[in-house]
Amino acid sequence: MAPDASIARAAVEAGAPTNPTEAKVRELAKAALSEGRVDYLIGWRHGYDRSQVIPGFVRTPEEADQLVVNPLVHHNLVTFLKRNMPDPPNARVGVCVKGCDSRTLVALLQEELVDKERIYVIGVPCQGTIDRRTIEKAFSDEVVDLAFTPETVTATTRMGETKEFQKADLLRKQCSVCHYPNPRYADDMAAEPVTPRAEGELTWPAIEEFEAMAPADKDAVLAEAFGKCIRCFACIHVCPVCVCWDQCVCRSRRPALVGQRVAPEENLMFQMIHMFHVAGRCPSCGACDQACPIEIPLYLLHQKMNKELYDMLGFEAGLELDQKPVFQTFDVDDPLGEH
Amino acid sequence: MAQATHTNQAAGTTPSDAEGGVKVVGIVCNWCSYAGADGAGTARLKQEYELRLLRVPCTGRIDPLFALKAFEKGADGVLISGCHPGDCHYSEGNYYARRKFELLDRMLPHLGIEPDRFKYTWVSASEAARWQKVVNEFVGQVKALGPREGRAL
Repeated sequence: MAPDASIARAAVEAGAPTNPTEAKVRELAKAALSEGRVDYLIGWRHGYDRSQVIPGFVRTPEEADQLVVNPLVHHNLVTFLKRNMPDPPNARVGVCVKGCDSRTLVALLQEELVDKERIYVIGVPCQGTIDRRTIEKAFSDEVVDLAFTPETVTATTRMGETKEFQKADLLRKQCSVCHYPNPRYADDMAAEPVTPRAEGELTWPAIEEFEAMAPADKDAVLAEAFGKCIRCFACIHVCPVCVCWDQCVCRSRRPALVGQRVAPEENLMFQMIHMFHVAGRCPSCGACDQACPIEIPLYLLHQKMNKELYDMLGFEAGLELDQKPVFQTFDVDDPLGEH
Repeated sequence: MAQATHTNQAAGTTPSDAEGGVKVVGIVCNWCSYAGADGAGTARLKQEYELRLLRVPCTGRIDPLFALKAFEKGADGVLISGCHPGDCHYSEGNYYARRKFELLDRMLPHLGIEPDRFKYTWVSASEAARWQKVVNEFVGQVKALGPREGRAL
């Protein structure tokens, strides 16, 4: 019995491919699995119904038919590689990456946190992923099916109510201004490169409103947002570039950087530790925003951090394999501070 | 046994603990700024007394999170100082540190902390007068803002 057979039973069958990229991903996955190049492959599959997508681990060529690629595939699967200890040890792992996912993978490869020889990467050019929670909020009933066209998303609820959304209105914050929809690193590509939604200088429209606030107002917004945090650690667990694990200073009492009290100060401190520790690796893929069960606006922090790194040194994380992470190197002529 | 003659020491408090006072944390490197501060003291250069110094081996040892932790614990201002770029006792510690401090400097206003509450600068061992100026200016601007209130961090 396949190890994840119980999940396979709960999940709905994917059926025939709905788009050429999906078909190609399945084909590449089947080839890699049947030729024995990988022990298993991590992709995306449907959850309990067709409106949901979850990470899917496929171990046989037949199971590869369960893989899907659609605008719901926001999950950054690189997070399953970050421990540098595939299960079982020495397993060769296949993984599907979108543009932002590939940047986190490149960031891990730069620091040799993932063994390049043990992974097989399928690159999936990305047309932008959507936030399912935006759709959920439009209905009092449960959404059970989503159908996609290039520009629209049609949602169907359990009671049969349907509603059409413009995909542009549902895009995740970083997707609407994405400069790198095409994987920066992949062994095989599942489709031709797509045109980025944005070109030229990077912009961060999602944080502009917050940036313009007075210090006291920012303080109030953050206190309210981070007061809700329950310190479930989903954000750091799902973060593909947050790699310290057992040595995580957030759970350490020596040094006690984070108190045990769950209050806005400690929670914001906890999150700033996360931000400073992934600075130089984080490409603002938004995995933490998606993982947060109470939708704390973490993008306010990581987008600001990346904006300032870009502004300071023109640095963008995870673009090239031979690039040095920003805090692991220096230039005596850095235009920073007093001289 | 000699009695503590300084009134404030005897009471275990400094005037900054009084109502409306500010607390400023200074994190300085052993080789330059601490020696500079020592020089300023030896030369009896008058300085604002709200600053409490923490000595570390090198600015490269200073994690930006130290400053954040100080703010979280109630500091009203944080001053970081070390050797001038190029003069690091360990050759390059402050070059690495400079990038981190600059990011911190840009992130703090985003967390609702006024830009005047944080400063990173360079003071060498021979610059006692400069140390006095840096301290008086920085503590002065923190005093002007007063203690922090209603804070998220």
